[in-house]
Amino acid sequence: MMRKNWWKILAAVMVSSSVVAGFMGPVPVLPILNETIRNIYFHVPMWFSMIVLYLISVIFSVKYLNSGERNHDIMAVEAVNVGILFCFLGLLTGMQWANITWGDPWPNDPKLNGSAIATLMYLAYLVLRNALEEEQKRAKISAVYNIFAFPIMIVLLYILPKLTDSLHPGSGGNSTFSDIDMDHNIRPIFYTAVIGWILTGIWICTLRYRLRLVENNRNKLD
Amino acid sequence: MSFFQQVKTLVSKEILLEWRSKHAINSILLYIVSTVFVCYQAFKSVDTLVWNALFWIILLFASINAISRSFVQESQYRQLYYYSIVSAKAVILSKIIYNMLLMVFLSIIAYFVYSIVFRNPVGDPLIYFIAILLGGVSFATVFTMVSGISSKTGNNSTIMAVLSFPVVIPLLIVLIKLSQNALQGLDRAISYGEIGVLLAINVITITISLLLFPYLWRD
Amino acid sequence: MYYMKTLMLTFLSIICLLRMAVAQPQMAQIEMATGLRSSGKIWVVVLVVLTLIIGVFLYLFSIDRKIRKLENHK
Repeated sequence: MMRKNWWKILAAVMVSSSVVAGFMGPVPVLPILNETIRNIYFHVPMWFSMIVLYLISVIFSVKYLNSGERNHDIMAVEAVNVGILFCFLGLLTGMQWANITWGDPWPNDPKLNGSAIATLMYLAYLVLRNALEEEQKRAKISAVYNIFAFPIMIVLLYILPKLTDSLHPGSGGNSTFSDIDMDHNIRPIFYTAVIGWILTGIWICTLRYRLRLVENNRNKLD
Repeated sequence: MSFFQQVKTLVSKEILLEWRSKHAINSILLYIVSTVFVCYQAFKSVDTLVWNALFWIILLFASINAISRSFVQESQYRQLYYYSIVSAKAVILSKIIYNMLLMVFLSIIAYFVYSIVFRNPVGDPLIYFIAILLGGVSFATVFTMVSGISSKTGNNSTIMAVLSFPVVIPLLIVLIKLSQNALQGLDRAISYGEIGVLLAINVITITISLLLFPYLWRD
Repeated sequence: MYYMKTLMLTFLSIICLLRMAVAQPQMAQIEMATGLRSSGKIWVVVLVVLTLIIGVFLYLFSIDRKIRKLENHK
């Protein structure tokens, strides 16, 4: 699976076609947003990819605790590394978009604060890994922290914005995607972009994982 | 010994230990009183928003200090001894229960000292009191597990702070919102959602701690 | 080999998606960048972004191939 090519080609095709269709396709004409509605094809998929990568990391942490196999731990770390990359991309693009539409790069929005805290959580995970010297101990304890933090992050990202008012659609007093922006023209392109970027994230993650494996094998031979 | 008996014995052991060496709890109490006094000297009089935020920040740091030593104070040999006679789940559950009791005690004391020094009208005292109790309990559940994790890294207190802050911030947001509702004396029906979220987070945290601690302990 | 496949599939799917895109948006007072679109200059932007994206993906494919070589080497 990891070494197959078809899904990598699919990722490339989906992302690049979503770029073209995202620029040229019809979009609903909305006040304030105007043409920037097209950002939905580029900004939102970053968050979807981030969540999927963190989910992969948690799954592999659980697997590691069950099996004690070192490869699972490597996969968990690399998924977090790539997830953080996507998180920063999402934050940066979101700040640029918010600056234009909401007039402030960091409006006090629960989703924004939530994702910033989630970033802190995974940076703490990396700090914890650095603090532990012994390899097995590091793998085990960081897996425990990863599993411990993940459900709280889910609460943070999904339940908190629903409790308080948010500028993002689908929470607080705002209408959801399906009401305004997600008309039938947008939907196929949006899902193409989301799946394409998720596959790309997984691809980068597997590349890093395979590199680590090669490195480890080389160290073993020496 | 059955599971619950183990837990009961361990909790009473914790209380007994705490009672014998009173310096730990006394130092935390002194810490709370002096922080409150420093804040009073610095601010003199504040509006409700700052009053509320200050209280939670004082309580947050007091609870980190109180709970971070819950695993450190016991030597490796004693932990090995526990390992041979009781189950890991009993150990973590007893720690959580003990820390809950400790935190409820500390937060009530902190609230009394704070409200005596800093006078401030509370609109709905019952809900505010519930918020304080829930806050103490939630801090206890989250910090117990995190202190278990950080004790494995060589008792580094920075690690404890780094690991626990991202986990505790969502709790703090909900708590501040709930207590703010209580301060303004809003309708109680508004606060039920927040109370539900807090209870749910506590249940989730305790469950995960019970599931994960055996892996953490087996060293 | 992948490159050719990738490029061909990309253009095929672009054509498919564009066919869905022929429906014109309703005109309103809200200002959209119709001028940029009617002059066709928007295609320059699309081309640039597309080149960037495809460049990144080709780079990823080449890394993939290198890693594969390393894996098979041992």
